[in-house]
Amino acid sequence: MTIAEYLAAVLQSQELPEDSPEWKLLIARRKEIEGALRRGFSESSPTIRYGGSRAKGTLIGESYDLDIACYFEHADTAPGESLEEIYNNVAAVLDKDYALVRKTSALRIRDRQLIDFHIDVVPGRFTDGSRSDCFLHQNGGDKERLKTNLDIHIAHVRDSGVLPAIRLLKLWKVRKGLHIRQFPYELLAIDLLKGRHSKGVAEQLIHVWTEICDTERAPLVQDPANPTGNDLSPVLQQCWGELRAQARTTLTQVANSGWEAVFGKVGADADRASGLAAAVVAVSRPTKPWAR
Amino acid sequence: MGQVGRPAERAVEQLDGQVHARYPSLRGILRDGGPVLSGTFPVEHEGTVLDRFVIEGYFPYGLGLPPVILETNGRIPRTVDRHVFPNGTICVEVPELTLLRGDYSLVSFLEGPVHNYFLGQSLVESGQPWPFGEWSHGKLGLLEAYAEILGVADEASIRRYLDFLSRQGLKGHWQCPCGSGKRLRHCHRQRLGSLRNDVPAPLARLALRRLNTARP
Repeated sequence: MTIAEYLAAVLQSQELPEDSPEWKLLIARRKEIEGALRRGFSESSPTIRYGGSRAKGTLIGESYDLDIACYFEHADTAPGESLEEIYNNVAAVLDKDYALVRKTSALRIRDRQLIDFHIDVVPGRFTDGSRSDCFLHQNGGDKERLKTNLDIHIAHVRDSGVLPAIRLLKLWKVRKGLHIRQFPYELLAIDLLKGRHSKGVAEQLIHVWTEICDTERAPLVQDPANPTGNDLSPVLQQCWGELRAQARTTLTQVANSGWEAVFGKVGADADRASGLAAAVVAVSRPTKPWAR
Repeated sequence: MGQVGRPAERAVEQLDGQVHARYPSLRGILRDGGPVLSGTFPVEHEGTVLDRFVIEGYFPYGLGLPPVILETNGRIPRTVDRHVFPNGTICVEVPELTLLRGDYSLVSFLEGPVHNYFLGQSLVESGQPWPFGEWSHGKLGLLEAYAEILGVADEASIRRYLDFLSRQGLKGHWQCPCGSGKRLRHCHRQRLGSLRNDVPAPLARLALRRLNTARP
C-alpha cells in the first residue's frame, strides 16, 4: 500500500455514511431539537439553518458535530432584548428536555442520561433584513458579541480544495487531544495550504506541520465572514506551543516510523478480532465489571 | 457556568499532567468550575489501537482517587447487563477491589480496570462473552467479590469479618467471626491479622456500608 493509498484508507475508515445508524439517529435528533425550538419560539418563527462538519465536508467518524443555527429577525425582541437574553432564552427552552453544556456561543445538547447528541445549537440574531450576517452572543470572550455568517463559513471550508488534508488534520487533533477550536484550525490549514492544492495529501500534511513547527507565534487568521472584526489568532495562540510540540513529534514519527505511527493501522475486521483476542491474553491483572 | 478560579485551573493542569503523556487523546477540561477528563479512550494492544470509546471522567472524591467514568456517545446500551447505569456511569469493577490494590494513580486505573472494561465491551459488542467474567449485579456481586478477598463464602461470615476488620484492634477473647463459636485466639486470629494488612479498617467500613445499601 502506498502512502497515498494508506491515507485514503484512513479517511475511508472515518466516513459516516448517510444510511448509517449513527447518522440516522443524528438526523432524528436534529428534527426533534428543531421542533422544540419552533414550539418554544412559535411567535418569532426563527430561521433554522444547519452547519457543522457534514455541511463543510470535514466530517470524521471519530468526532463529528452538527450545528443548528437558530437565528431571529434583527428587529424581533420577543426572544430577548439582547443577544445574551436570546442565548439564555434558547437555553431555557432546550433545558426543559435536554442537558446542556454552555459553550462560548453555542449550546451543546445531551439527553438527560448525558448521552452526547453531537449537536450544537447556535442562537443568534440577524444583523439586518437580508438574513445573511448574524450576531452571536459570546460567553467569556473579549467581545460580548460576534458577527458571523454561517453560509460564508461553510462555503469557505467546503470549497477550499484541501478537504482530505483538513479531515486528516482534524483526526490528528482528536487523537492528540489538542484543545483547539475547529474553525480557526481549519482556517489555519486552508491558509497554510494556499498554492499547494495540487500536492498529494501526505505532502500537504508535512507542509502544515513543518510550518507550524517553524512559526514561533500563531499566524494571523481572519474570519472570512468578518475579516476586519474577528482576528482568530489569539484563539490559536492559546494552544500554539502545544500545537508546535505535537507537530514536531509527528514529523519525527513520520520520518522514523512511517505514517502508521501517526494514524494507526487501518485493519480489516479479522485483524481487529485477533488484536482483541491477543489483548485479552496480554492482560496481567484481569478485572471483572459489576453493577450496583 | 460557575466562576472559574485558579484552583480549578490548577486542577485541570494537574489532571493533564497525570494523564496526557500516556493517553494523548484524553485531556483535562474545565466544566462548571471543576476538572473533567474528556476525550477518546483507546483499547490497545502492543501500541495498536483496536477500538475507541468516548468518555468523560468526574472526580467527586478528588483527583487522588479513581474517577467516575461515563461513556458519553451512547454506544454502549445503558443497561446493568452491560454494566452501565442509566446516567451513563460505567461500573468497571467492585470499587473496593480497586482501592484494595493501593495504587490510586489515574493512569493505573485507566490502564487496568478501565482498559479491561472497554476491551470487554468491544468483545461483548461482537457477540463474545466478557473475557474475564463478570460479577453478579447488586449485592450478590459484592458478596462474590468480598468472599474472594476474605476467603469466606456466606453473607453472615462476610459481614462478621468486615465488622472485625473495621475495628481498630483485635482482642483474643472475642468470638471468632468464622462462626465456630471459639474465641479468636483459638481460631482464626492469625488469618484475621493477615487480612488486616490487606484490608485496612476504612476499606472494611466502606465495604460494609456498600453491602448495606446495595440493591438485592
